[in-house]
Amino acid sequence: MRIDEYIAKHAKETPQKTALEEKDKSISYSLLDEAINAITAEIDDFNHCKFAIFAESGIEYIQALMAVYRSDNIAVPLPVELTESNIRQILDSNQINSIIVTDQQYSRFGNAFFEGFTTVIYISKDSSVKTLRKEIIRENNNDLLRLVMYTSGTTGAPKGVMLSDENLITNANSIIEVLSITPKDKAAQVISPHHAFGNSIINSQLVAGGSIKIGGLTFLESTFKLVESGVTIFYGVPSTYRILLKYPSSFQRSFRNVRLAASAGGAMEVEIVEKIKQLNDRIEIIPMYGQTEATARLSYLPSADLEKYPDTIGKPIPGVELDVVDDSKKPVASGITGELIARGKNILIGYLNDEEATRKKIVNDWMYTGDLAQKLPNGYFKLLGRKDDLIKVADHRVNPREVEKYIGKNNEVSDVFVVPVDHEYLGNAISLMVIPTQDTEVETLYTFCRKNLPGFLCPLEIILIENLPLSKSGKISNRSIIEEYQNVKANM
Amino acid sequence: MEEIKEDIMAYLQNKSFMDSGTQLNDDDSLTMKGIIDSIGLIEFIDFICEKYSIEIPEELLTPENFDSISGIVNVIQKLTK
Repeated sequence: MRIDEYIAKHAKETPQKTALEEKDKSISYSLLDEAINAITAEIDDFNHCKFAIFAESGIEYIQALMAVYRSDNIAVPLPVELTESNIRQILDSNQINSIIVTDQQYSRFGNAFFEGFTTVIYISKDSSVKTLRKEIIRENNNDLLRLVMYTSGTTGAPKGVMLSDENLITNANSIIEVLSITPKDKAAQVISPHHAFGNSIINSQLVAGGSIKIGGLTFLESTFKLVESGVTIFYGVPSTYRILLKYPSSFQRSFRNVRLAASAGGAMEVEIVEKIKQLNDRIEIIPMYGQTEATARLSYLPSADLEKYPDTIGKPIPGVELDVVDDSKKPVASGITGELIARGKNILIGYLNDEEATRKKIVNDWMYTGDLAQKLPNGYFKLLGRKDDLIKVADHRVNPREVEKYIGKNNEVSDVFVVPVDHEYLGNAISLMVIPTQDTEVETLYTFCRKNLPGFLCPLEIILIENLPLSKSGKISNRSIIEEYQNVKANM
Repeated sequence: MEEIKEDIMAYLQNKSFMDSGTQLNDDDSLTMKGIIDSIGLIEFIDFICEKYSIEIPEELLTPENFDSISGIVNVIQKLTK
């Protein structure tokens, strides 16, 4: 089955039941199903082609996504938080001919941006659909491909994760089981639907026949109102909780009837957990762990074990196997550090147009997560950093070397180093250490970052340095960068 | 009022996604123009609270008050009275 077929099923069985809510709007399963059909009618004659979906979080986004599924095409959601140049790169590197765009995103980039597409489907503010241009061009895509998802922390040329119907449905069902989602549950979607976590909220709620209330995190008065309006499951990354907990009395009031607070994207610090518990001692807190490459989730920490094993990622979700292996890909005993690997029907097909990266990621059906981990005697897993140099910034996985290369290539500098630094809300943000040339201008660097990098990657500070002492191996590593940063700061 | 506006513009020029070429009218939406995102707004509110020694109750965290220069100037004026 495909995800949209569950919607059709619910529309038949419980047509009046609310599916989606956004601000004052509310639509039932039957209306959602009809709206999906209306978009499907415009693109039904395409045969397994890629459709970029360029839409802000909202009811229209979900309708467009499901219409691409229903018409047996392939969805490529564009993360709207990316800058125009990043979005261009995604489109150009994957020869995407067709796009579904909302009024808001269309007016953001203007006519010229859309001229390169041979097919443009336009969704206006009142949800009506118009085909601005249409030409069916044959494409040769992987037979199983249904969705191309971009990881949230990428810059430069991002890797598209190829997912199948089976991937999406398997993971949705595992999440439904772990979180005991029922048709009665109303989930708050305040995080981006364009990435794995937000996408998994859509899938698991709609497969289960529950409902989703869509909102944002920018104007917190409305976020708290949204939660207060009958939400039973709240999903957030750790920084979402940090932001909301800044207003404890509103948190207490609005979360009174929330039964479950689920998290993913980063470790839930004991501090956050304790604060939530203080404000609502009946709420269940379930931290989850995963990757875009695993559709979304791989493991979860049962709430009963939250206090006993706060620093673990718990156990695999149903249908997933986890193990830890050494450098020769042999399993190691519990208590020994190695790379965490995962197997299950939620593991990606591969990376779009990148066979080499796919070969490295999936070996003998096992996906290599890149996370270092240990197995505990009780079967739980504990993360111990990364095998590569990836860092977490604002709960996004970021490759600092990639960011350095991107800034270095486009600016007048001799060298750039990304330093992860503490941030009150984001957990981690970044600062830059720059070895300047004669022409380096700090202000120009800031401007470049603001224009070309997603918000969470804009540096808190840019520090000019003379050189960076290399490690013995002569390689740049996060450790050597952080040490030098601490040195520089101590002498400032 | 002009002074508050200058402070706000100076903050946005230094800390937001705005650059010197951005044309910004008093009623323009800061979020729609991509000048500020959710984290940016939280930090901006922290700055305002500290700068004017005020507390902003969460009922006031609405687009009417915080999505435009004019809204922000108004809310600061109200709370500093």
